[in-house]
Amino acid sequence: MQTKITKIDPDKPELLEIHCHSVSDEVREIVAFVKSRQGQLTATADERQYEIAITDIFYIESVDNKTFIYTKGKVYESRQRLYELEEVLKNNRFLRVSKSTVLNLMKVSAIKPALNSRFTAVLFSGEQIVISRKYVPALKKALKGEA
Amino acid sequence: MAFKRFLVLHLQLYCVLVTLIFAASYIVGMIFAPEQNISYSQLVGPFILAGLCVLPTFITYFRKEPTLKQFIIRSVIQLAVIEVIVLFFIQPPENTIAALFYLLIGAIVLVIYVLAKLTVWLNKYLQSKKLTEQLRDFQANESP
Repeated sequence: MQTKITKIDPDKPELLEIHCHSVSDEVREIVAFVKSRQGQLTATADERQYEIAITDIFYIESVDNKTFIYTKGKVYESRQRLYELEEVLKNNRFLRVSKSTVLNLMKVSAIKPALNSRFTAVLFSGEQIVISRKYVPALKKALKGEA
Repeated sequence: MAFKRFLVLHLQLYCVLVTLIFAASYIVGMIFAPEQNISYSQLVGPFILAGLCVLPTFITYFRKEPTLKQFIIRSVIQLAVIEVIVLFFIQPPENTIAALFYLLIGAIVLVIYVLAKLTVWLNKYLQSKKLTEQLRDFQANESP
């Protein structure tokens, strides 16, 4: 894919236009990255498309190869895979906390002990998310600002 | 769980067990043979016994995340194996009722096992408390 950047006058709105043969995963990834830079993600709910503010997202979960975005009281489905969203959101205080979940650290009210070496993240919505032991070191690093 | 982390956790468990076995030896000794003296060589006993009690936990090492059911089953198997090891290695002193002695030792092992698990859980509780504090600092620093 070729890239072309054209400088425009400050009074004109900035626009990113993609000319492609088909809307491939690569194209979706580029669009998702641009939207995430603007603080938004595209997802569907009730057969309608929504732009969700990243700051409104509590967590993102992958279930049966589908990706769901959870906000306060509403669930959206994303066409992107969990690892793609993880990549896009890693600079937005989101962290992978289990094989199937990416968590918004800004929406966690407390961390509690769970079975074995696991912890549970209690969200401001009251929901509880399991933090797998594999991801605990990454969480510790992230909280110390080392991630 | 990484094997290194597993080893660190079990080293902690070993240290807790050594302490608790020393305490239990004192209690049992005071009940069954309060007038008996022990030699320095016998002091190594709790270290060996704690090692033997930690060994069964290696058999049930989980690479993947266990479910609640798996966790409970594993704990019951661990306790059963530990009871067998301890009762096999400890002999009742002379002039004591063997059944009563073994029953008491079995009960003490159960108490020690529960206390060891509680200690590990307490350690985890303190860790989670620290993580929550770090999380609040992180949120305060990252808020726009």
